[in-house]
Amino acid sequence: MSFLAPLFAIGLAGLAIPILVHLVHKERKETTPFPSLMFLLRTPYQHSRRQRIRDWLLFLLRAAVFLLVVGAFARPVFEREAAAAPVAGGGGREVVVLLDRSFSMRVGDRWARAQAAARQALDGLGAGDKGTVVLFADQARVVAEDEGGRAVLRAAIDSSSPGDAATRYAPALTLARRVLAASTLPNREVVVVSDFQRSGWDVTGETQLPAGTTITPVDVASAAVSDRAVRAVELRRTLADGRERITVTGRVSNTGPAARGIQARLEVAGRTVASSAFDVGADAGGVVTFESVAVPETPQPATIRIANDALPADDVLHFILERAPSIPVLVIENVTPGNERDIYLQRALEIGDRPSFDITVRRATQVNAGDLGGKRLVIVNNAPFPSGDLGRRLEAFVRGGGGLLVAAGDAVTPATWPGRGHNLLPATPSDPRDRVADKGGVLGAIDRSHPALSLFGGTQSGDLSAARFLRYRPIQSDSGVLARFDDGAAALVEQRVGTGRTLMFASSFDGLWNDLPRQPVFLPFIHQLAQYASGYRAGRSVYEVGDAVDLQGVSVAASDSSRGVAYVAVSPQGNRLRIGGTQGEAALIPGEAGIYEVRPAGSPGSRPRLVAVNIPGRELDLARFDPTRLTNAVSAPGDAGPADQPAQVDRQAREREQSVWWYLLLIAATLLVAESVLAHRLSRGRVAAS
Amino acid sequence: MSDAARALELAKGQEGVPGRRFLDPKVLARIDDLELVARFVVEGFISGLHRSPHLGFSTDFAEHRQYMPGDDIRHMDWRLFARTDRFYLKEYEADTNANFIAILDVSASMGYGTSGLTKLEYAKYLAACLAYFSHRQRDRVGFVSIDSDIVDIVPPSAKHLNQVLHALDRAEARGRGALAVPLLKISESQHRKSILLILSDLYEPAEKIRDALGPLRDAGHDVVVMHLLDPAELNFTFDAAGTFEDLESGERIPVVPGRLRTRYTELIRDHLAAVERLLGEGRVDYLMVDTSKPVDEVLFQYLLRRERMQTVR
Repeated sequence: MSFLAPLFAIGLAGLAIPILVHLVHKERKETTPFPSLMFLLRTPYQHSRRQRIRDWLLFLLRAAVFLLVVGAFARPVFEREAAAAPVAGGGGREVVVLLDRSFSMRVGDRWARAQAAARQALDGLGAGDKGTVVLFADQARVVAEDEGGRAVLRAAIDSSSPGDAATRYAPALTLARRVLAASTLPNREVVVVSDFQRSGWDVTGETQLPAGTTITPVDVASAAVSDRAVRAVELRRTLADGRERITVTGRVSNTGPAARGIQARLEVAGRTVASSAFDVGADAGGVVTFESVAVPETPQPATIRIANDALPADDVLHFILERAPSIPVLVIENVTPGNERDIYLQRALEIGDRPSFDITVRRATQVNAGDLGGKRLVIVNNAPFPSGDLGRRLEAFVRGGGGLLVAAGDAVTPATWPGRGHNLLPATPSDPRDRVADKGGVLGAIDRSHPALSLFGGTQSGDLSAARFLRYRPIQSDSGVLARFDDGAAALVEQRVGTGRTLMFASSFDGLWNDLPRQPVFLPFIHQLAQYASGYRAGRSVYEVGDAVDLQGVSVAASDSSRGVAYVAVSPQGNRLRIGGTQGEAALIPGEAGIYEVRPAGSPGSRPRLVAVNIPGRELDLARFDPTRLTNAVSAPGDAGPADQPAQVDRQAREREQSVWWYLLLIAATLLVAESVLAHRLSRGRVAAS
Repeated sequence: MSDAARALELAKGQEGVPGRRFLDPKVLARIDDLELVARFVVEGFISGLHRSPHLGFSTDFAEHRQYMPGDDIRHMDWRLFARTDRFYLKEYEADTNANFIAILDVSASMGYGTSGLTKLEYAKYLAACLAYFSHRQRDRVGFVSIDSDIVDIVPPSAKHLNQVLHALDRAEARGRGALAVPLLKISESQHRKSILLILSDLYEPAEKIRDALGPLRDAGHDVVVMHLLDPAELNFTFDAAGTFEDLESGERIPVVPGRLRTRYTELIRDHLAAVERLLGEGRVDYLMVDTSKPVDEVLFQYLLRRERMQTVR
């Protein structure tokens, strides 16, 4: 049995109270006058201290009450057999070897020395000891002795090799803490075998190891490192003769005491298309810009490569050369195309290249079902809602994952909008509200946490409330409201329909009912609404090992919905990975540098999505930190400190479960009642006797 | 009817009750007038003596003496002159004209009492009674109150009974008591041999008491010591532990009576025995007075002892 609050044991000193009460007897506070103390002084008072305790039963009751109350406040907890407290000195050891297998461990003979240090740590284990190996880079994996003895541990060390991932110490330390907390062995030790790369420092208070843990850092970093690496790439798109061209710029670093002349090549689909030579100073970086290249019709793997050095993996940087992403949009107008009223919307959509908008404009009376083909977004810009077969096709389009953005201006009347437009809209258009008298309303409440409007959440990121709305049609909806006017009326409402979504704006984009098109925020506002409604997710041409790659952005055709689809990814080393499917969002977390090929599962012949993955840039920074810093950071504050936190939490849980204190207080209360009765009787008897 | 009258009636009524002849100090305590108390006690006491075999001693005829010029002719025995034609004077034993001085200890410890009246009040009654008694037999009565020095003094005189009673009435318990100094002063101031009645609780070592009384005895005075003690002082009848405070010094000590009682009673018994022994050796008449006892019973005991010891002259 132990106590959660042993400091309350100080209260045991209070036991002296009943002892003194029973030993000294009741002493009246008032004084008794007496003619002379002549004979009393001759009988020293000290004699009274030697008297024996009277009323033993009463005394024992009072002492027991005191003990029980003190015991209850100390919160006793009965230990389970397996949770025996560690005993300092002697007994077995729980040794956890943290072996860094990040990319930087490839430098020189670091890995060989790291393996030797790990093996040495395992060789030092005795018969009563227990070992665990944690292999870590940006993630950590435990190889425990329980899984097959120490041979498994040695095999894990021998068979592993440095990967392409960055260094992170926190996951490994967290695993080590978990292993040590669960251990019943009295002595705990952690051996950290690493090059102690500064960029991997993510140690926080939560990674602190249990008290009493011995931390042994084994530094395998070599003193001087010389390495050249391609660190980053920048793609600048231009249009020349109607064709899109890309200028590739690469950044190269030179770590080492000597300046280097570097020859860099730009390869597209394995073919060198450009090259450049330049010098980089000692411990400095340089930039190389290749001649522009024409963008191929289909995405192609591209590489910036420099001459190999001792660490060849970072001498190459992969990226994807592809056309800028574009969202095909159908704009349904109520006026003749080219009319001034739709110029604001069209001009806004024509600007920008990531993504660009491929716009098709149709009059409401001329649009047909064929116009929906290949589109990801339909904008009904102050036009009657498509009726009949076109309306049903539009409904199917949205339910299949397409987007619909509606601007309700003067042309949107109950006559032109039957009902809620095949339930695609959150509400039917209401009568317009005129705010001319008060110089127009503004957007009063904006949900900036919503993905469609999060761009305006930061400071100086555009003032949506600057626009004045002279007229609008309040949307009668309480759900999915993204913005409201200053009178509380809903201004922008979202509704999910099937796998697609619709956005309804309560005013027009033509500049007649409001001055929103003439505000600076109009362009990003339209772009954000269009991207959100179309379900567009920005892709990247370059990823790093450990990044999450959203595979749902693979498909660009609305009809080809990729949601819920399983994917098969082929890694640069030819490993096949199955991703997504029924297990929620499909995301690839690459563990190797190179080009991944991702295809929907069951479509081995389809054109793959190419994902370029590189060594994390921070991992290429080989600066180190003092291993003592790690030791100090993860050590408990003093070995003589409180027990380790997990064990303490476990004890608290057990104490709550047992609630011994409650029973102790109950017994104490019962004894108090008995004490009262007994004391009353004794007092009464004494009075009667006197 | 006043409280005093009611008390007297109550006291008189007790005479008919067997075993209740003696006057209860608590009854006397309800009478404010000290003279009335003294007269009441002494008159009753004397009337009781008439039924006693121990007959009077005060006005008994002693002898005839031939008239000498200058003698008071009031004491002439005219009957004898008629028969013998010679002048003879009657002489009575009570006509010795002795000095009776009551010396009352008024130290603070005398203010203690648990049986209806304090030791000082009890001592006042005794002193008043004996002063009245002495006055009746034509002795000169005087009074001295002392603590560690002389506090008040009434010189002995046949006419000073009222002054003595008034002085007794004024006496209050105060200060620390010590016999040596005041008794020495008394011995030096009283050149005529006197009966000195010392009323005190004698909270001093027996040897010091003996030494303090020595000068009086050496001066030829007839010294009578009445040692007054309350029943609580004799038996230490306390129960609860507490702090006891010395009435004279103010000193306080924690006391557990249950533990101390036996030892205390042994000590007080030894003290009384030592005092009685030492004073007896010094030919001092000593009487221990329990203040819970009736006053006239104490008077009776005292006078009986005096008669036996033949010290009344």
